[in-house]
Amino acid sequence: MTIESMRARSELVTKTREFFLSRDYVETDTPLLAHWLIPESSLEAFATEFKHPFRKGLPLYLLPSPELWMKRIIATHRRNVFQLCKSFRNAESVGRLHNPEFTMLEYYTVGGDSASSARLTEELFEKLLLPESPKDARPPFRRMTMAEAFKSYAGLDLDSLMERGAMIEAARGQGLRVNPQASWEEAFNIIFLSNVEPALPMDRPLLLDEYPAGIECLAKDIPGKAYKERWELYVQGIEVANCFTEMADPEAVARYFQSQIGKKASALVPHAIDLKYPEVFRDFPSCSGVAIGFDRLFMVMMGMKDIREAISFPFELFFENDKNVK
Amino acid sequence: MVRGGEINLGTCLLINGAPHIVVDREFVSPGKGSAFARVKAKSLKTGNVITQTIKTADSVEDAQVDMVDCQYQYFDGENFMFMNNESYEQFGIPLEAHEDKRPYLKEGETYTLIMWEGEPIDIKIPYKMVFTVVESENYIKGDTVSGATKPVTTETGLVVRVPLFIKQGEKILVNTESNDYVERVNN
Repeated sequence: MTIESMRARSELVTKTREFFLSRDYVETDTPLLAHWLIPESSLEAFATEFKHPFRKGLPLYLLPSPELWMKRIIATHRRNVFQLCKSFRNAESVGRLHNPEFTMLEYYTVGGDSASSARLTEELFEKLLLPESPKDARPPFRRMTMAEAFKSYAGLDLDSLMERGAMIEAARGQGLRVNPQASWEEAFNIIFLSNVEPALPMDRPLLLDEYPAGIECLAKDIPGKAYKERWELYVQGIEVANCFTEMADPEAVARYFQSQIGKKASALVPHAIDLKYPEVFRDFPSCSGVAIGFDRLFMVMMGMKDIREAISFPFELFFENDKNVK
Repeated sequence: MVRGGEINLGTCLLINGAPHIVVDREFVSPGKGSAFARVKAKSLKTGNVITQTIKTADSVEDAQVDMVDCQYQYFDGENFMFMNNESYEQFGIPLEAHEDKRPYLKEGETYTLIMWEGEPIDIKIPYKMVFTVVESENYIKGDTVSGATKPVTTETGLVVRVPLFIKQGEKILVNTESNDYVERVNN
C-alpha cells in the first residue's frame, strides 16, 4: 500500500465520521471479542479462549460484525448510531475481494427503513467521492428489484419460483447443475451467481432491492409478499453494502435463531449463542441498518481492482509459501 | 469425486461426460447465503470454456487422468507430435485446442501430458522454462535508464521483455504464466 493510499484511506475515515456526527449519529465502540455470536449459518468465526490461571477458561470469538452489540445500544438508548471497526470472518477465500480481518462500517437509523437508508447511503457516497473516483462508483444509484433482475437476465419469473422443486427445475432449465438435495436458497443462488449477478449493469452503483424471504436473515418481511426489506449495493460488480429494515419482532428473531442453530450443526467453528438475545427486541424501535465493507468502499472509490491495494498488510502474506491457497 | 471447495486451478472435471480443466476458480459467498465455487472450465477436447457454480460442500465428478512424460518432437502443420518416453509410442495432439501452448514447446524437451481414457488431452507447461534468444535489437550504449527493457523473440516464437544487457544467442529463464523474464542463464 502506498503512502498516498494510506493518506487517502485516513481521509475517507475522517469524512465518514464527519458525515455521521454532523447528522447526530452517536459513534459506538462495542466488543470485538465476545463469548456469544448471532447464529449465522453462512459465517464461520475465529475462536480463542480467555485463560484463567487457576480456574476453567472461557471460550471467546472474534465478531463477524458489531450488529449484536449495536442493537443492544439501540434498544436501550433509541439513538442513531454508527461504528467503524474491525470484523473477522473465517473460512472464506482470501484474495482479490476478501481479507479474513476487515473493516466494517455499520450505521443504524431509528425510525428509518431500507428506502431511507438507501437515500442516506447515496448522500454518504456524495460526501466520500474523491476527484479520482471513477464514474461507475458515483451516485445516483440505479435501483432494481431482485425479481426484475431475474426477469431481465435469467428470463425467470421469481414470484412463481418460491417452492424448492420449482427453483431446482428452473436452474436445470438454465442448463445448471443442481444437487437434487439442494435447498431453495442453494438453487436460487446457483441461478443468481451463474446467470444474474455477472450480468448486472455496472455503469453506476446498483442497489439490488427486495431479497427473497427464502434467504433467511434478520430483515423485516414485506407485508403480504415473499420478499424482505433488504437491499445489497453492488459497485463495479462487487458487493459493497447490505441493508435491512431490521426485524423487530422478538418471536421472529427467536425463530430465526432456532432455524440457524439447526443449520449451524455442520459449522467448522461451533460457538456459543445468547438464547436470551431475542428478548432485546421486546421493546425495540423500528429501525434500519446498513453494513458496508469499508475496505471495498475505499477500493471502489479509488478505482482499485484488488482489496490487497487497499490494506497495508494483506492476510495473504501469511500464505507466501503456499501457492495453492487463494 | 471432488468437493466444490477442493477445486483448484488445473483440477480436471468431468462435465457432460467430457473432461474439462479448471482455468479460473473464485469462491463466492453471497450475502447471508451458502458458499459456492464459481468455476470456469475449459473443454480439453474443444477448448470451449463453460462456467459452473458449485456449492463448496457438494461433490462433483472429476476426470480420472494420468500424467505421462513425453518428448515433444515437431509440429507437422496440424498436430504437435510427441513420443512417450517409456513406450516410445508416437502420437499427435491437434493444434486447435492447444494453440496457446505453442510458444512453450521446444523440440526435444520432455513435457508431462495429461491422458484421459488413453487419449492425450492436455500439455502441462513447466512454471519456469529456459529459452534461447534468437532475435534481439542491440541497444545503444549510454541508454542506461534503470529498469529499461526491450522485447526479444525466443526459438519458439515467444516474445519476452528483458533487460537491455541480454544479447542474441543468450539463454534466459522465463515465467511461463506471466511471460516475465526471470534471469539470464549461463551455459
